[in-house]
Amino acid sequence: MLRITATRQVAYRVTHRFTQLGLWACTTLWAGAALAQENDWTVHAKRVYTGSGDVVENAIVRVTDGKVAAILPGRSAPQNSLSVEAVTAGMIDASVRINAGVWSVEQSTEVQPQRSVADSIDVFDYRWLRAARSGVTTVYIAPLDRNVVGGTGVAMKTAGADSVDGRRLESKPIVRGAIGTDPSGGNSAAFGRPTSFFNRRPTTRMGVEWEWRKAFYDAVAAQRLPERDFEGADVMRDILAGKVRLCIQAWATQDIRTAVFLKEEMMREGFGEIDLVIDAAAEAWKEPQLLVRTKTSVILPPHPGSGRARDGAFMSINTAKVLVDAGVPVALSSHGARDAGERLAAQAGLAMRGGLTLEQALAAVTTTPARILGIEGRVGTVEVGKDADLVLWSGTPFEATARVSGVLVDGVLVHDPR
Amino acid sequence: MMKTLLRAALCSLTFLAATAEAGDKYAVKAGTIVTMNGESIENGVIVMEGGRITAVGSEADVKIPWDAEVLDVPDLVAMPGFVQAHATGGMDRSNETIDVAPFLQISDSIDPVAFFFEECIRWGVTTINVQHSTNCVIGAVGMVVKPHGMTVDAMLVKPRSGVKVCVSPKSGKSRATQMQILRKTFGDLKRYLDGVIQQKKDGDDTARREALYQGRELDGEKAKGRAMKGEGWKVDGLELVPRGEIDEKQEPLLAMVEGELAVYINCSVPMDVPHAIELARDNGFLSSTVLVLGSSCWKAADAIKAAGVSVVLNSTLVHIERDPVSGEEKETFVPGVFEEKGIPFALSPVDNTTRGLWYQAAVCVGHGMTRAEALAAVTTTPAEILGLTGRVGQLAKGADANVVLFSGDPLSVTSFVEYVLIDGKLAYDRSKDVRTKYLLEGITPENTASAAELDEAPTDHNGSSGEDDDENKDDENKDDDSKEGGR
Repeated sequence: MLRITATRQVAYRVTHRFTQLGLWACTTLWAGAALAQENDWTVHAKRVYTGSGDVVENAIVRVTDGKVAAILPGRSAPQNSLSVEAVTAGMIDASVRINAGVWSVEQSTEVQPQRSVADSIDVFDYRWLRAARSGVTTVYIAPLDRNVVGGTGVAMKTAGADSVDGRRLESKPIVRGAIGTDPSGGNSAAFGRPTSFFNRRPTTRMGVEWEWRKAFYDAVAAQRLPERDFEGADVMRDILAGKVRLCIQAWATQDIRTAVFLKEEMMREGFGEIDLVIDAAAEAWKEPQLLVRTKTSVILPPHPGSGRARDGAFMSINTAKVLVDAGVPVALSSHGARDAGERLAAQAGLAMRGGLTLEQALAAVTTTPARILGIEGRVGTVEVGKDADLVLWSGTPFEATARVSGVLVDGVLVHDPR
Repeated sequence: MMKTLLRAALCSLTFLAATAEAGDKYAVKAGTIVTMNGESIENGVIVMEGGRITAVGSEADVKIPWDAEVLDVPDLVAMPGFVQAHATGGMDRSNETIDVAPFLQISDSIDPVAFFFEECIRWGVTTINVQHSTNCVIGAVGMVVKPHGMTVDAMLVKPRSGVKVCVSPKSGKSRATQMQILRKTFGDLKRYLDGVIQQKKDGDDTARREALYQGRELDGEKAKGRAMKGEGWKVDGLELVPRGEIDEKQEPLLAMVEGELAVYINCSVPMDVPHAIELARDNGFLSSTVLVLGSSCWKAADAIKAAGVSVVLNSTLVHIERDPVSGEEKETFVPGVFEEKGIPFALSPVDNTTRGLWYQAAVCVGHGMTRAEALAAVTTTPAEILGLTGRVGQLAKGADANVVLFSGDPLSVTSFVEYVLIDGKLAYDRSKDVRTKYLLEGITPENTASAAELDEAPTDHNGSSGEDDDENKDDENKDDDSKEGGR
């Protein structure tokens, strides 16, 4: 029962995928695999949850050159195949903070939509493999929540090339910011002398909200008044034009309202329609119609067990169910839990406890986050022609009695079920 | 409630309860009964009387008494209540500042209305061994309770269930200091016993006068002396000393050495295990020792197997270790190691809401354990560790009538605990549990807009309405929370 994974082998094969053309022969010999190419596999499962509404029974998924080449139903497991109980598409975590810790908080300004988190990502961090092995194959690395407008995030694979660009997915640009106490928390005391050179503003929820509105109004005004211009104003205008998606973290009802009303205010002023996603929307279950009305998508944080989330928000276990029933697109996330993505499968299980069907829970960790990130053309379903990002399960997906027993990212086995 | 009172009043007034009191008999008809005592039973019946199970079997085999109250739940699955072999909740404080404190009683610290116990029953845990936490050298004498009852006495299942000993150091101490205090404690016990025996031989009755001065009773067994038992060291002549005269600070230590009081030794890392075994062997309590282990202690499994002790695992079931040189990670499924070695192990919950004992057992199944093995680690094995085999952890004739009824497969994420019976009485009914309802469904608070209202966009809005009156918004935790922003 002792399971010691040959992590050396896995890490080697993952990080050097593109440089090992001459090496794959000895790698595969060493691994004892009988397959020609390391991103060619034959996977057999009793049930393949394709994510497009079908459950294909006793199916073979053929992986060629990192893509799904064929799904053949009603077959028995051929020799040399990876044979498991169930297969789903790789999970997508739309709110992850690997390499986006406090050290990545830019102190110089609160509004910095032009900055990209890509520059702070270390693809050699151990947490990538941990995320991949937990079944999370694609993540959106969000800038930290301590700036009002924190910057542009990156959608990327959890394994593969050893550069950010090599792992990145073409997606609609997404700027991420925060409303609530996170951007103001920890800033200087309202009274007395500043305690540090780095004391920052804003210090209140009011201040945070003002920063958002000022950024948008200034960006619009700067087109006529050069003195109102600032670095990143063009990005703010792109957000208003709907060219860049805006993801705002807001835990509590009052902050979710602030985000939604900000969008509606911009519409009333004739500035444009913001393409809005609310991250960490723990209390979104209280007012789902507000989100429906404004066509807002939602990313949920992990359920905190007791229900008590941050910023005083209460998250009921059926939060995802309420939102899905109301027609709000819902993605589940690990929200930067220390071990990124580690608990995403468990979150889907909890969402089922709250009333989602397996299909709905699957959508909340695959197709919906794919659409929120604008990468649904490549990932999110098990479909011929799409990336071979597959999760191999030892039982019914998301049940506590099932384990992620194997994972392929772009057809490369990063977690071996054998 | 009124009904019960009336019934009780009538009974006592009229016939002095010549017949069995109504409500004393209870029967559950369940779709499936997982007995943990042989095969599961489809369409089964559990009959209870006087707080004990009197019969378990299929509907065809078991007759329900005519005067029993019946809970007919054909869609539910019955399980024995889960058993938690080691818990540190439900006390006002879970540690003492005193290093060696086995003269203290956990019963004085237990708060019957603690939220901890409410959560236990809500998620199906009906037997809990409450012990001092790990920030001690030797903790208080623990007790086994059920999470039901308004007083500690009413909750009692087993008094003096054991003493907590920590080999891992208390805060501010090194392992060397910790071990030295432990060795000295038992050395002092031996010197004390030698001294008190010598006093008796010399005709000195200081111990007796001290006992009387402290108000201890010296009659019955307490008035008798008894030769020292134990597999470790012994002192000769202890039969000269009436047991009641032994100092109350030394008495629990003596009970440990004599093997009459179980010892729960906390080992947070593998290096603690040999120390724990040595301490237990030297002082003769190895056979009554249970190791409470940190997740990396699977590395000491061979030593544990050789010592023949049982273990309580902590809540981390997959131990992840990072190589200090290469940075690569190694994962170990901890219960699997103990299962393979044949070491009896009990599981601990992550929390008592969404990741309780059922969840831990389910995770074990996910890692390849059979359902029977996984369920044993939360029922029969902890019962055995607590010396309560046959009494808790299984549904069998003669066992305490602790029954949990699940809405489906007890190991499925979609199942809920619907009813819990403790001592043959209904102690929990989910349909009446407002807190679970709130956790599951939330309650739309007043002043949040209804769906109909929200169909129209507001015409005049300043962008920050914030009319929310949820008082928790002013929670002091807010500041703490925001300081954690580095995650």
